[in-house]
Amino acid sequence: MKFLCVPCDSPMKLQSVGPPERGSLSVVYSCPECGYEMAMLTNAYETQVVQSLGVRIGAEVEADASSTTGGRCPFPAMIPGNEQQQPGDAGEPIPVRWTAAAEARLANIPAFVRPMARTGIERFARDRGALEVDEKILDAARDFFGM
Amino acid sequence: MKRYHDIVGDGGSKILEQVAEQRTRITDGLAGVRHLVAVGSGKGGVGKSTLTLHLAGALRARGLRIAILDADFNGPSQARMAGVQEALFVPGSHKVSLPRTKDGIAVFSMGSVIPESEALEFESAAHGESHTWRATREFALLGEILGSFEWGALDLLMFDLPPGAERTVQYADFFGPFDSAQGKPRVSFLLVTIPSQVARGVVARSVAALSKGPNRLLGYVENMSGYYCRDCNAIKPLFVSSEIPRLGIPCLGTVPFDPELARHCDGGMPLADLGETPVRRALDHVAQQLLESLI
Repeated sequence: MKFLCVPCDSPMKLQSVGPPERGSLSVVYSCPECGYEMAMLTNAYETQVVQSLGVRIGAEVEADASSTTGGRCPFPAMIPGNEQQQPGDAGEPIPVRWTAAAEARLANIPAFVRPMARTGIERFARDRGALEVDEKILDAARDFFGM
Repeated sequence: MKRYHDIVGDGGSKILEQVAEQRTRITDGLAGVRHLVAVGSGKGGVGKSTLTLHLAGALRARGLRIAILDADFNGPSQARMAGVQEALFVPGSHKVSLPRTKDGIAVFSMGSVIPESEALEFESAAHGESHTWRATREFALLGEILGSFEWGALDLLMFDLPPGAERTVQYADFFGPFDSAQGKPRVSFLLVTIPSQVARGVVARSVAALSKGPNRLLGYVENMSGYYCRDCNAIKPLFVSSEIPRLGIPCLGTVPFDPELARHCDGGMPLADLGETPVRRALDHVAQQLLESLI
């Protein structure tokens, strides 16, 4: 989808992605010629269809992502820099830390299966008396499962 | 006034470029794979998953490098049958390692990370309207899996497709009709049926749907073609059907039903443990036919 400023006959540029609210995204575009601004407000179905493509809206734009990282954000994959899991739920077993290097490797796992993979690796670490997942633990898991 | 194609880019999000990047990741991820074979049917319950796993086992026994991608995300069965139900997805420095069976077949199955007591769920803003987006989301996930996991150098990557004639065609569309580098269709289809008119009728629809595009249909396998009675060491009829619709594609073989094979599947035991039986010989024959049809 593209937007055209009719008076200027100029393509509009994406400015910001507003915080998601009840299934709707507010995506603001402006005309580089006259500065006119408009917002595209998606309904939940439109939002979901785009999300289902596995793409991000506003990938090049530093959207106000920090305001969208609340616990119930339904668009975690769509807002740049917002792929991290939320902190562990209450009642979880002993927390396991992740080193930055191990966390970086975890990011290679598709976002959808990442939480399950994280849980499994933490269980693997705990079973071996480790409270930190580092690259050694990841390598040990690879060896253990004959990978 | 400018029209859509007069404007370069989409003003910021680069959605099309992101989709193109996804495709590139898939192509790069599969660069070392010689053959992609999708095992489908259209009909459910005909033994696609069982045949996929045991054909993979028979090919592996020939020394080939094999992986299975259980594309039935909603009803994954390969994790249990291949004995990788408790395996982890472990990230490497670039790609994610795949669990392997005892005989060295790499397996991706949602069943490794989602317990059988749970259904596959996607977060959604459009609550209660999954028919509008679910298939798109599942194919996007398939793309992520193909691009993220370490397929490496393989002779065959076998896809265990979900049921549904339309899904079979969607897979053909997803991979694209033609691999310009190899000069042939990117993915080849092997269909599975059983000797009943109902199943044959549904599979015939899949054949018709796939034949509309430039898809490569290797042939079909008739599964549950009689059952193997261990007591009398003979194949006995399982279905009585006089007029079975013809499929118009090569038959790569018939495989009898064997309760012992079903027990092996439930227990995640490899084909090699089955012993020398008519069923194992039948699977071996189909594997050989499959290999020859790929050349």
